[in-house]
Amino acid sequence: MKTAVVTGAAKPESIGHEVAVRLQKEGMQVVVLDLYEEGFSSLPGCRCIKCDVSDATAVERAFASLKEIHVLVNCVGGSWEITQKDLRAGPRRGFLGLTNCSLEDWSTIRGANLDSVFYCCRAAAPLLKKQGGAIVNVSSVAARKGIPPGAEGSSGPYAVAKAGVMGLTRQLALELGSFGVRVNCVAPGVIASGRLKKVLRFSGDKGPEGPLKQIPMGRVGTVAETAALIVALCTDDTSYMTGVTVDINGASYAA
Amino acid sequence: MPLEGLRGRKALVSGATSGIGESICKRLAAEGVDVLATDIHPGAGIVVADLTRADEVEKLAARGTPDFIVNVAGGPVAPTRSETLPALPQGNLLLEDIDERQWSAVIAANLTTAYLVCREFAPRMKARKSGRIVNFASIAARRGSDRVGVHYAAAKGGIIALTKTLALELGPFGITVNAIAPGFIATPRIEQSGWGRTSPEAHRAFLEAIPLKRAGRPDDIAGVVAMLCSEAGGYVSGATIDVNGGLYFGP
Repeated sequence: MKTAVVTGAAKPESIGHEVAVRLQKEGMQVVVLDLYEEGFSSLPGCRCIKCDVSDATAVERAFASLKEIHVLVNCVGGSWEITQKDLRAGPRRGFLGLTNCSLEDWSTIRGANLDSVFYCCRAAAPLLKKQGGAIVNVSSVAARKGIPPGAEGSSGPYAVAKAGVMGLTRQLALELGSFGVRVNCVAPGVIASGRLKKVLRFSGDKGPEGPLKQIPMGRVGTVAETAALIVALCTDDTSYMTGVTVDINGASYAA
Repeated sequence: MPLEGLRGRKALVSGATSGIGESICKRLAAEGVDVLATDIHPGAGIVVADLTRADEVEKLAARGTPDFIVNVAGGPVAPTRSETLPALPQGNLLLEDIDERQWSAVIAANLTTAYLVCREFAPRMKARKSGRIVNFASIAARRGSDRVGVHYAAAKGGIIALTKTLALELGPFGITVNAIAPGFIATPRIEQSGWGRTSPEAHRAFLEAIPLKRAGRPDDIAGVVAMLCSEAGGYVSGATIDVNGGLYFGP
């Protein structure tokens, strides 16, 4: 049985949750790393470990208990509900840009979105290299186009950290390619996750990256579509892809 | 597990007689897709058509409206009715080697074909409010190429622009439009011609420079087509997906 590690999967209605469920359906043993303990019972059959993946020591401890890894999916991230302290806080109101965020905002958001990916990839690499496998990271359309001033529910530091995830993906693709480990990335636009619902409660028809009616496909994406794409990047369907970021945004930004 | 959303659908695949197109047909058929395979070069189960001609594209449309259109037809040397599988060149195609006739023929084979097929079928897909279009670009358009010639690279660059534009135009109708940009894919035709192999050592060094340390196979591309036509491609549109073993990462 193959083993997959998925970070940020415990919250129901999240992309990570759906990825964990689908990888399990593919016949894999799924290990979930997340802070959100209440969600663990929604993933029966997964091995859920409470872990702050923005903490290098905690990540090393969690991975030390694993014997083998074939797939790593880094879904953890966001601009809010990303630390033990604000895990149930809901979205912050107002625009959070690079010029008005606190230094603490910057390091917290960078920690959850970029450092976490670095720590998990580093910890998983020795086991992935043994037999080959796949890493999929989750970036964002925000990395491509930034967050427009005034938009609520996302942040400038998030856009920058997610651009870092694309660069990390490329670098690791070079370092791990000869071991048969492919490293790819998806960059979702606005996806109908539990988080989006919380933002839309106060923002009306404005998504975290701007007005929803500006999306050419005329709708937001589904968690199922996004998870299906991530799973495809874990399988042999994408056997010759590495270092690539696949944009999934309803034609709202073509790179 | 099979990909969701493929079984029972209909696909039109051009350039289907050999190589990447043939592999796509097999893969989609294995997923339960009813495939209409077309090519200018005859073959088993192939509907022969010259897709640089609007009247022949129109004739194809009489066979029904597909759910998926996969525009594979093309290549750095344009086929004709009398020579449907022209020999690939031995050396690199340089600017001064390409005359106006070749320029026009290669643009037609790679770019006009996709335009005509989209123009014929998009209105029918719009009426249904659904559809998937997968076009074929190339690494030659993404990073440039010293091998395939400026006509081919320019045509494939045109494919990327056509893809982005149609994604905007057809998005409101629930139609996704994407492109795949393959890197070095060892199709039987390329293998037989030995194209680009100045020496065995140089070819080994070329493959060694690819992060995945190998040439691509037609199946590697077919998997990505299947992905884009499946549930996984439902919200992907306007994208050009690089499938090249890590040789080039895109913009």
